[in-house]
Amino acid sequence: MSKRKHTSILPYVLLSPAVLATVIVVFYPMVQAVITSLYNNILWKPRAVKFIGLDNYIAIWNDPVFWASLGRTAIWIGLTVPLQLLLGLVTALLLNQTFRWRSLARSLILIPWALPSVVIGLMWSWIYNPQVGLLNDLMLRLGLLQTAVPWLANPGTSLYAIIAALVWQGFPFFAIMILAGLQTIPHSLYEAAEIDGATDWEQFWHITLPALKSVLVTAVMLRIIWVANSIDVIYVMTGGGPGYATHTLPLYALKRTYASMDFGYGSALAVSFSLLLLGAIYMYLRRAGKGIE
Amino acid sequence: MQSSRRPVLRALGVASFALTLCAAASAQQTVNFWYHVDNAENTKIMDDLVKTFETKNPTIKIKAENIPWNNYFDKLFISIAGGKAPDVAVTRLALQPQLLEMNAIEPITKQLATWPGKADLAPNLLDINKASDGEYYYMPLQYVAIYLYYRADLFAKANLKPPATCEDFLEAAKKLTLPASANGGTELYGFGMRGGKGGHDNWGPFVLPQSSFAPGGMTSAKAVAANSWYIDLLRKHKVSPPSAPNDGFNEIISAFKAGRTAMIFHHIGSAKAMADALGDKVSAVPVPSCGGARWTYFGDESTTMFKTSKVKDAAWKWMSFLSEGDNNLKFNEATGQLTVTKSGSAKVPQPERFVKATMDSLAFAKPLPLVPQTADFVSSVWPTTMQRALNGEITSAQMMQEIDKHFNTK
Repeated sequence: MSKRKHTSILPYVLLSPAVLATVIVVFYPMVQAVITSLYNNILWKPRAVKFIGLDNYIAIWNDPVFWASLGRTAIWIGLTVPLQLLLGLVTALLLNQTFRWRSLARSLILIPWALPSVVIGLMWSWIYNPQVGLLNDLMLRLGLLQTAVPWLANPGTSLYAIIAALVWQGFPFFAIMILAGLQTIPHSLYEAAEIDGATDWEQFWHITLPALKSVLVTAVMLRIIWVANSIDVIYVMTGGGPGYATHTLPLYALKRTYASMDFGYGSALAVSFSLLLLGAIYMYLRRAGKGIE
Repeated sequence: MQSSRRPVLRALGVASFALTLCAAASAQQTVNFWYHVDNAENTKIMDDLVKTFETKNPTIKIKAENIPWNNYFDKLFISIAGGKAPDVAVTRLALQPQLLEMNAIEPITKQLATWPGKADLAPNLLDINKASDGEYYYMPLQYVAIYLYYRADLFAKANLKPPATCEDFLEAAKKLTLPASANGGTELYGFGMRGGKGGHDNWGPFVLPQSSFAPGGMTSAKAVAANSWYIDLLRKHKVSPPSAPNDGFNEIISAFKAGRTAMIFHHIGSAKAMADALGDKVSAVPVPSCGGARWTYFGDESTTMFKTSKVKDAAWKWMSFLSEGDNNLKFNEATGQLTVTKSGSAKVPQPERFVKATMDSLAFAKPLPLVPQTADFVSSVWPTTMQRALNGEITSAQMMQEIDKHFNTK
């Protein structure tokens, strides 16, 4: 009896430090953000702080910058994550082949992932620079451009230029995850398929992809969350500009909170975004996570 | 017997020595001080100042912290809201209304009245710093005025004089904008426009002499036309690099030093770097006159004491120390800005032509309006609307309406 009691308490005891840390570091600030979002709370007007209910949320509904930023956030996630996945998958399939210097190639591929975001932001800003940047110089030399393009200063190209930088930064994560997944697939499955006359494509479609499903679903979910919340590279490369051209929702929330010091409105933006992201992840897991434990 | 007494006496001696040390430590006061210098190497100059001060005032310890510029003011305001403000910090006049609204800063009017260094302060600096309630909260520390850096060699080659008016400026910018084929393989632009954050001091000399922050002052036909003229420098005349909408301090300074632009606006803080990179090829003049008047940005930096400080006397001693003669000069050495003392002004280390450009600008140099909206105007409203206007997303009139609305909506 006492042994059973001991066994039933032990998991809770072991879990409690992690739960406690999560409650303090994650849940308390979340609750605080929800409470702040119900107040008119501009940092430099401490005497004007007052409860305004859902007024900040109503203002968000009528805020054109919110809707434009939401649209850009959808493009931001919708392009970055699939492109990272595709590039990561191709890289992992290549790295899974046997070739000379394979170990070196596997190490080098991690470099973009290991670099700090600020370094990546600065590096790509200079690559895109219309006067001294590598990209314009190459394209001008190859005759692909007639005049240098200000990739980051043009509202039509700035978001896509940053997406390209982020794809470069994030694809090694997918490559390494998928490579680990590939190494768990028994080779006998491929041998059996080959005996049955399956082509390379059929082997990939019917063996590799299904075997990788759980890895892919988890990796995509993690990247959706990380990419959605990622603002460091945008902040370094354009600061959200020109105008609002590279404002995603988390960046807009940050700027409203810190540049304008409007903590009430900024918190309401952050809470709204969190709810939207939770909804998107729920939908994703319901559709993509079927059949995965 | 004697031998058994000795350890007791020794222990008593050690205890009394420890008590003396504790008493000395408790009498010592620590002043937390926040400042910023662009070049982290220059924190050594601040360390020297701290050492000199602490030698003169052995009961005061200065904990000086160099806070990165990008989030200096965010961090300051959050620390105030959290009740953890430093004792003294370097601040700017534009933030005074917000700091007063937060009831965060301590008046220093009484201390100033009896401070012997007051007579050595340059004229008007204290008046400029006076708050709307008639009290003084800011101790002048350094100042700058925005002026025009120009490439003297390129102007001479093109037979041009430094621009005195908007019209001269445009003419020079057009003549000095050259394709790579006509400039030894490097494109040259007449004007290195700063369209990103902080660029309001580039825009001000062209637009603010012909507009005002009062209701309707930004939306008058004259003000909108002046703004259109500025936008056209990039959009119509193409005398600025195409990256201008996003360009900030680093971009305009590096392009000018690399010989890719012929004129930029900045202050004496970059004079040494300019002279080191370009020698006699770079010179400076006050900003041009536009619409018959001149306006340039007066950039101040002062120290201020926070209400939450528990060591106000020690904090005042440190503030006043930093604004005295040679100490102030030493501080300015770290930042490259100008001294606030009369005695120090004869000894400034910057090349004479840049000091002269600053002095000649003081007659018409002004800070932005001392109202709470100014801080948000500088950090958000101006860069966002300017970038959109420079990219043709909004018109000049729409940009000016946004600014008018920001300053004049209750």
